[in-house]
Amino acid sequence: MIPHYYQHFCPVKILSGHNAVSNIPFEMDILGCRRAMVVTDKGVVDAGLINLVREAFADSDKEIGYVFDEVLPDSSNRLVNKLAKLFEKEKCDCFLAVGGGSALDTAKGANIVISEGTDDILLLQGNEIIKKELLPMIAVPTTSGTGSEVTKVAVIYNEEKNIKMAFASDRLYPRVAVLDSRMTMTVPPKLTAATGMDALTHAMEAYTCMQKNPIDDVFARAAIELIRKYLVRAVENGKDEEARLGMANASLLAGIAFSNSMVGMVHALAHACGGVCHVPHGIANAILLPHGLEFNIQSIPRPIAELSGMLGGSIEFMEEKEQAMVTVSLVKNLLGRLNRISGLPVRLRDAGVAEDKLPAIASAAINDGALAFNPVEVSYDEALEVLKKAY
Amino acid sequence: MGDVLKRTVNLIRSLHGFPAFQSKVKHMLCSTALSFLGPAFEVVGRHVPEFRKEIESWEEGRRFALRVLPKGPAITLEKSGDMIRYLGKGLKSPHITLSFKNYDSALPVLMGIAGSHQAFAENRILVEGDLAKTMEINRVVNIVNAYLLPGIATKKVLKRAPKMTLRDYINKGKVYAGLVPAVVRHLI
Ligand SMILES: [Fe+2]
Repeated sequence: MIPHYYQHFCPVKILSGHNAVSNIPFEMDILGCRRAMVVTDKGVVDAGLINLVREAFADSDKEIGYVFDEVLPDSSNRLVNKLAKLFEKEKCDCFLAVGGGSALDTAKGANIVISEGTDDILLLQGNEIIKKELLPMIAVPTTSGTGSEVTKVAVIYNEEKNIKMAFASDRLYPRVAVLDSRMTMTVPPKLTAATGMDALTHAMEAYTCMQKNPIDDVFARAAIELIRKYLVRAVENGKDEEARLGMANASLLAGIAFSNSMVGMVHALAHACGGVCHVPHGIANAILLPHGLEFNIQSIPRPIAELSGMLGGSIEFMEEKEQAMVTVSLVKNLLGRLNRISGLPVRLRDAGVAEDKLPAIASAAINDGALAFNPVEVSYDEALEVLKKAY
Repeated sequence: MGDVLKRTVNLIRSLHGFPAFQSKVKHMLCSTALSFLGPAFEVVGRHVPEFRKEIESWEEGRRFALRVLPKGPAITLEKSGDMIRYLGKGLKSPHITLSFKNYDSALPVLMGIAGSHQAFAENRILVEGDLAKTMEINRVVNIVNAYLLPGIATKKVLKRAPKMTLRDYINKGKVYAGLVPAVVRHLI
């Protein structure tokens, strides 16, 4: 199926390997940079990952200007402004974000503040509003899931107004993404499972949403096949270098797919679960993915049926809808397996959601931007119904 | 015969002033469609309870605008009491602006040939402002479309065409009857 119109863009250079971090100073040279501002969180520092980065710099003529390790799970405007000031004080010329989505979001936010010359970025919210060229940014993900090393969005919490500000711009893409198996080696099994399911959700939603297109289908398909091969392995044995690098690649591929063709109702519901009940993003996606796919079968059985083959299911000349149900049950099987080996919850009730919060989650979900790209319209009642099934 | 027609069309299109003329026509079409869409929010709001329910939770004074880039027409609307008021043509300090990239992106949506959800998905609309509020606006646009467009078009334009009851059809009739006077009122 060729969409009426679509766009695809990914200007990120990708380095992938067991020692890929060593090449960061060389990449800075190509970018014309000399002094990097490392943006990270305390957990990453405690896991010894910044030491690996320091070692890479020791062999080069490039410098780390400052290590900003104050990133919190949610990036905020206060943090972004603080980082921007430090960046200028320390005379840095590029960002090196080492961490999950929020380290990248914080670096992106500070980058906007510096380039646009304002400490109030509220007015720059929206799509393609940022007009100034941003400073180069290098992204080193330390979990395999968000795919934010190849996305053009940043979400930053506004503390005064109590709202989440969303920015999307082609200028927000990092210049380089560095996938190094050592950087995800210390992620515990349950988090490995949850983030891996986030990546699977990105790939499956990209493959089944309204902007599904031939280019992103390729990325989504490759991601799903890697996840099928490596997710359980990485959860069972965190020291499995090949599985870790495989999952890092899967997460990046899924990131390219969904940042172009977008996601759908599973993400809308997961964002709402996060907002209302603080359910971690990967866990919410994992629980809701089979239910979201099942809901969408009514309008797009074909692409959902095709997913079963990528997950290793056989195609037995069934009706499209039956084959699509095979996909749903394969995803459920995977969840069951991850639950047994890592304790990943498979129901909302086991993920800290109180039943009386479901209506609030449903109303937040229908206002989530991701829902605009779902192939089926989802009303409040239908969202509530899906949540009840997942409960 | 077909050949002659094709050649004539090509000849017209190669005339010096044709692209500029075509662009003027597109501008006029967009502008006219927006002149209907603006007042339609007021009229649909008056007759359709579902619309009023949808905007119940909006903060008073929320202003949003629809426009066509780079220099096309624009309209601004505002939540006021239990309705959405049409403030007229142009950008009047909106909180949220939905901008079509160009006339070609805007026309199918404004003419009721393609849906706003499709335009969002295809990157034909750029959003300035709060995304969650944009989703609420999109839902209201869909309700307006459902009452403004003939049934056959809503099937194509909306992800899910609403099941209209007899009451809804009566309301649709009222919307049609009220629309032209509302447009005229805003013109004078
Ligand atoms: Fe996600």
